[in-house]
Amino acid sequence: MGENPENRVDRIVNDLLRGRRLRLRGGDAEEKEAITAAARLVAAGQGAQRMHPAFRKRLAAALESAPKGGWLTRRGAMVAGLGIAAGAVVGGLAGRALEPVRAPEALGPRKINPIPGRWVDVGALADFSEGQGKRVSAGGVGAYLFRTGSTVTAVSSICSHLPCELQWNGGNGVLDCPCHPASFRPDGAPTNQSYSLPHLDLVSVRVTDAGRVEVLGT
Amino acid sequence: MSTDPGPPRDEGVAAEGDADVLELPAASRTTAIALDELELVYAFIYARVGNRPDAEDLTQQVAMKAIPRLRQGAPASAIRGYLFATARSVLGAFWSTRLGLSEAELHEDLAMAIPAGPPSEEPAERARRILEGLSDNYRRVLELRFLHGYSLKEVAKEMRSTVGAVKVMQLRALRAAAKVRLDG
Repeated sequence: MGENPENRVDRIVNDLLRGRRLRLRGGDAEEKEAITAAARLVAAGQGAQRMHPAFRKRLAAALESAPKGGWLTRRGAMVAGLGIAAGAVVGGLAGRALEPVRAPEALGPRKINPIPGRWVDVGALADFSEGQGKRVSAGGVGAYLFRTGSTVTAVSSICSHLPCELQWNGGNGVLDCPCHPASFRPDGAPTNQSYSLPHLDLVSVRVTDAGRVEVLGT
Repeated sequence: MSTDPGPPRDEGVAAEGDADVLELPAASRTTAIALDELELVYAFIYARVGNRPDAEDLTQQVAMKAIPRLRQGAPASAIRGYLFATARSVLGAFWSTRLGLSEAELHEDLAMAIPAGPPSEEPAERARRILEGLSDNYRRVLELRFLHGYSLKEVAKEMRSTVGAVKVMQLRALRAAAKVRLDG
C-alpha cells in the first residue's frame, strides 16, 4: 500500500540478487520495464547458466520413467533427436512424464504403505501443537503431522510434483515447496488452482492409548 | 507475442541421413540428447528471469508443452525452433501472470524480444552492452549493485551519496537499461 516505486523495485532486486524467485505484488506492473531489466541484468552478471545437476537429474528421471504408450514412432523420436525414444527406451510420452499433473482420476490422495512397514513412535501427543505442522521421520518416511484435538493426520513431506522437502509455513498455514511456486493445505490438497498438482501422499498415523503418536514407516 | 506456437510444421519428411536431421541416438543416449536441448532452453529462460527456481519451473513447462507435440518427420531445425517458440510462449504467460497484465499489455520488447535460437553472445557481453549504453552514474550504480553485489549502503558510500538517492538512481538506471536491446 503506497510503496514507493524505488522501494518496490529494490525489494525485487534484492530477491533476485539472493537467487530467489520473482515475487511480484499488485502495482509492480507499473515498473515492469525496470523489473525485467533487473532480471536480465542479474542473469547477465551471473554468467552462462546451466541446469543445476539436481534439476537435470529430475528431468532425466522423468524422461526415463515415462509411461508406456508413446506418441512418436521410433522414427519420430529419431528425427526429433530429443530422446522421446518411442519403443527403445521409454517408449512413451516424455512430456507427460514431465507434467506436474496426473490424470484427473488420479489426482486423489494415495497412501504410503511401506513394505515391510512398522509403526514408529514420533513423540507424545502433547508434543504436537494444534494448527501447526510438525516434520517427523519414521525411518525412510518423512511426514508432516497435524493435530486436531486428540487426532493426528499426516501427509508426506515430499512435494507431489518436484521431489523437494516441503517447508511448514505457519503464517499461512500451508506447506510450501521450496522448488517451485506450490503449496499444500494440511490435508494435502494443493492450494493453487491455476497450477494444478496432485494431492500429497498420505501417511498412516495413529495415537496409542498411552498418548503416543506413531507413524507407519520403515 | 506469446501465443501458443502450435506444433512445428513438417517441412517435408526428412530422409534419414539428411544433414539437418539428428541421427538416431543409441537408446542410452536419448535422454542426454533431450537434456542437451533443454539446457539451451534453460539458459535462454534464465537470461530473462534471472533466478534458478523460476527458470527451472519454466524449462519444465517448455518440456511438458513442446515434447509431446513434436511431430514425426520434423527436421532438427524445426524442433529447436519449436522449443524456443514454446519458451517464448511460456515466458509470456509467466510475465503476464506475475505482473497481472494481459499478454496483450506486455510490451513487445518486454519479454518477447527473443531470437530464433539461443543467444550467441556471452552473458557478460550482454551486461557490458547494457551498461555501456547508460550515463556514468547509472552505469556505476548498476555495476556495483548487479556485477559486484554491493548493498545499497555500500553503493551509497562508494558514490558518496545517500541510500535513498541510490535507490532512486537504481530505479531510473533500470528503466534506462530496459531500453537497451539485448537481443538481435
